Order: sequence, then structure tokens, then C-alpha cells
Amino acid sequence: MKTKIAAIGENDIMLIFKAIGVDVFPVSEVDEAAVKIKHLAAEGYGIIFVTETIAAKLDFIIKEYSDKFLPSIVVIPGLGKRNDYAIQRLRSAIIKAVGVDVITEQ
Amino acid sequence: MIENISATRMELLRLKRRLKLAQRGHKLLKDKQDELMSQLLAIIDEVKNLRLSIERKFQSILFEFILASAKMGPSQAEEALLLPTKKISVSVKKKNLMSVRVPLFEKEVEGNIIPYGYLNTSSGMDAALIKFNKFIESLFNLAEKEKSVQLMADEIEETRRRVNSLEYKLIPNLTESIKYITMKLDETERSSIVRLMKIKDIIRGH
Repeated sequence: MKTKIAAIGENDIMLIFKAIGVDVFPVSEVDEAAVKIKHLAAEGYGIIFVTETIAAKLDFIIKEYSDKFLPSIVVIPGLGKRNDYAIQRLRSAIIKAVGVDVITEQ
Repeated sequence: MIENISATRMELLRLKRRLKLAQRGHKLLKDKQDELMSQLLAIIDEVKNLRLSIERKFQSILFEFILASAKMGPSQAEEALLLPTKKISVSVKKKNLMSVRVPLFEKEVEGNIIPYGYLNTSSGMDAALIKFNKFIESLFNLAEKEKSVQLMADEIEETRRRVNSLEYKLIPNLTESIKYITMKLDETERSSIVRLMKIKDIIRGH
């Protein structure tokens, strides 16, 4: 099965994804991104890259897709201030499964 | 205990069969849970380190790219990358990991990474794009691994619920009901023996 790849995020970051042949959807508003993600998932995109700043605000939508086989939503760091959304998501999955936090701190 | 149960031998046989089945299911599910857990624990640190290293690398590439495009001017950078010649897609395969279906991504690429002429663009842009081109595969790898972790975590939670409901609800319920029926049947048997003895006595007295 062949699937397409999409990227959602700020315009500057989207350029580099565009060069590599990924379908890009620059968004500036969070609501716009929310609609876009739903739309892309319904269209059958297999991998959706979302920048960290947007992902942190769209936690509820990303969670909706976490138990589906596809799409795989990958959070990528953006240009602005860092937040460790992706690591937090990993951590909450582990806590859900194991019952305790087993991720080692570095 | 199961409510409204009729204390008959047939019911007892049925319950005993159910108990056996429940115990077998419980053992199987418990094994599945243990195995899933050990697999999850095996990949968890790997995923975390992969994510951290990818984040660092991605940021440095992004930084390089932004600098290069700033040097060229935003409109020119956009123009240069307006029509990408490279097409990228992934083929998805299913992998069965203890009945959890996880995706395997394999990238399929066509065309060249640099879609523009060399005249109006900076070499920094070329370098950043070539680096990103190599880097993209590890992003797919991350997509695959993170999805596996999510799916496995969900499956473990579900399995744990099933194991617990069997262990703490269904199996004790069944054992208790079986005990109740056995006691009830024994009691009827005893009372019928006593009745027979009594009747025998009365008949002998005549």
C-alpha cells in the first residue's frame, strides 16, 4: 500500500519539506491546523509531520489518531521556543501501559 | 456470585466448563501481556534516544536552511523551491507484533533533490537540502517506532483490563457459584437420605 506524506506548520519550515517532495500545508492559525489534520487523515495520508508549537495546542486531535493504524503523526521541532511535547506524549503512553514512568532521565 | 442460579447438576457442569475456559483464557492473556510489556520496554529507550538525536539534527539542518533562504531573500527562496522535482512517498506494510498491527514504512523517491538552477541560489541552500534529503529517512523511522509504541501501549492497557476482569471478577464469581451449587446439592442429598431413613423407620413400626 502506498501512502502520501504531509507536513503542517509555519511557512518557513514548510519550504524545506516542499523541496523534498512532501505535500505541505502552511497554516498560521491553530483552528486551521485542526481542520487540516482531520482532512488529511481522512484523505489517507500515511505520515503527517506537525510542528511542535501547533501540536502542543492540538493534543486532543493527535490523541484521536494515536490508536489508529494510520496516519502516524510525527511531531517535529519548530523554530520558536522549544517544548518537549513529543517526549511528554511518549511518557504518557508508557505510564498508561506500565503504570509507572520508566523513561530514564539523561 | 452469579445471581438467580438454579442449583442443578446440569448447571454445575456448565459452570465447571466455563471456569476451565476462563482460566485458560486468563493464562493466555497474561502471557500476552507479559510479552508485550517486555517488547515495549525493549524499544522504549531506543525510541526516546532516536527522538532526541533527530530533534537536534533537524534543528541544525533547519537553521542552516533558514539562514540560506534568508540570504537569498524570501521571495527568491520560495521561487526556487516552487516546483519540486523530487517526489517522495512511502509504502506501508503491516507487521504483526503479538496481534498488534504496526506499520512499517519504506520510502519511495523519484527525481532529484535540487529543483533549481545554480545561478540565483546560494550553496548553503544546496548543502542544507542534501543533508535533509539524507535525514528524511530517519524521520520515517521515527514515525514507525513512535506509532508502534503508541499502539503497543494501547494494546497493553486493553489486555491488562481483560486479565484483571477475568482474574478478579469472572473467575471468583464462577468458583463461588460452583461452591454454592455443590453445597446445595450435597444438602439435598443428605436431607433425602434422612427422609428415607425416617420413612423406613415408620414402615418398620407397623
